[in-house]
Amino acid sequence: MLDQFRRLGFRHVLLQVLNFASVLASGLAMWKGLGLLTNTESPIVVVLSGSMEPAFYRGDLLFLTNPPTSAYRTGDITVYNAPGGAIPIVHRVLETHDLVTKLTVDDVVVPQLLLTKGDNNQEDDIQLYNGLEYLERKHIVGKVNGFLPYVGYVTIAMNDFPQLKYALMGILGLMALIQRE
Amino acid sequence: MHSIYQRLNSVSALLSTCLLVLLGSIALTTYVHETHPSGTLEISSTKVKLGRMRYQRRMVETAHVKFNYNADLTSLFHWNTKQVFLYLTAEYTNAQGTQNEAVFWDRIVRRKEDANIHIAGGNKYFLKDLTRSFKNATSVTYSMKYNVMPWIGPLTWGEAGRTEALPLPPAQNTV
Amino acid sequence: MNAELQRLLDGKIDFEGQKLATTIMNYIIIASTIIAFFAGWALQSLTVTFGIVGLSTLATGLIVGLPWPFFNKHPVPWLPASSKTKTS
Repeated sequence: MLDQFRRLGFRHVLLQVLNFASVLASGLAMWKGLGLLTNTESPIVVVLSGSMEPAFYRGDLLFLTNPPTSAYRTGDITVYNAPGGAIPIVHRVLETHDLVTKLTVDDVVVPQLLLTKGDNNQEDDIQLYNGLEYLERKHIVGKVNGFLPYVGYVTIAMNDFPQLKYALMGILGLMALIQRE
Repeated sequence: MHSIYQRLNSVSALLSTCLLVLLGSIALTTYVHETHPSGTLEISSTKVKLGRMRYQRRMVETAHVKFNYNADLTSLFHWNTKQVFLYLTAEYTNAQGTQNEAVFWDRIVRRKEDANIHIAGGNKYFLKDLTRSFKNATSVTYSMKYNVMPWIGPLTWGEAGRTEALPLPPAQNTV
Repeated sequence: MNAELQRLLDGKIDFEGQKLATTIMNYIIIASTIIAFFAGWALQSLTVTFGIVGLSTLATGLIVGLPWPFFNKHPVPWLPASSKTKTS
């Protein structure tokens, strides 16, 4: 493999590296651009828990937006980070309290207190809030607008079974070797 | 295209493109289907009790609402409908001017056959105020809303039944 | 032995065969996608749609992937081997 490189020439190798880097960079630019468009830091998320079954299963893909000027309503499905929470949680809004009296000139949207609950859970999420009684908008990453089943399971499998990651890399390496150019 | 690997590779490439277009089209059909859900919501009784909840020290006023709901939601079920999430909300403004909306009953409807709803129900979840009291709150408007969750694509929301504003009775002490 | 295995894995077909394979693949996959969409829509069942797509893909893979004899009807006419003279 090393003499393959030597045959191609050093400049050619650099060109390959540049191509690779520009693919990475444009991918990153598209991801961040999507985040700007939807006003959320994570416009596409994978469902990690079973607390929204039978609507969402682990491995499903969710498309989020975080409209800056409209309030959240009951029935919206939000992804939020509880303060001190380890992972973002995808649950439905159970209660909204619009503090219209606390609205200031600087506010883009009315400040709200929100309570959430997973469809598959018996009780609301207060246990998950680490001391808070309600969530505020700043805890919310976004609300779910779109759905794609199964597609995200690859990322969960890679995390749960690290052997899978190595097996995949091994297969790719093997294929690169046995391919006759 | 001279090796099996190359031919299978190009099959998978064409398949990916076709699948993308197919999934996109299925997602778009969500907007094409005409849905006309209809429902009537009636509140049969409301009660406000003063008591403790969640093993807390302080007393909280909780509202208990009994309702009758009849609806035909079958038009919400098309090929891209995975389930319909039905939820009953209470909307009111409390004494401090905060506008509140709280879900106190919900149901998951998974099949078209289950979409004709005729039920008499009551609270599944506590209905309480931030200030722990409903005193001087405005009358409450009850609304049955739904969320259609698709197999692929966009989620849609709507309303299928609303009442006029009904006042809450004063609290009864149950402790 | 290695050469034999390599030949098997390659599944070579001649150039006319390759054109045929590409045409078959394009027609089956694209047509099945369109048919799958409208059939599923008419019967209001996503199972029908993805069932049709799945079966068609499997069929295409088998038809186009394997080196069937009808792909080798036009073998390349190679020139006969000539004896080489050594140059110094």
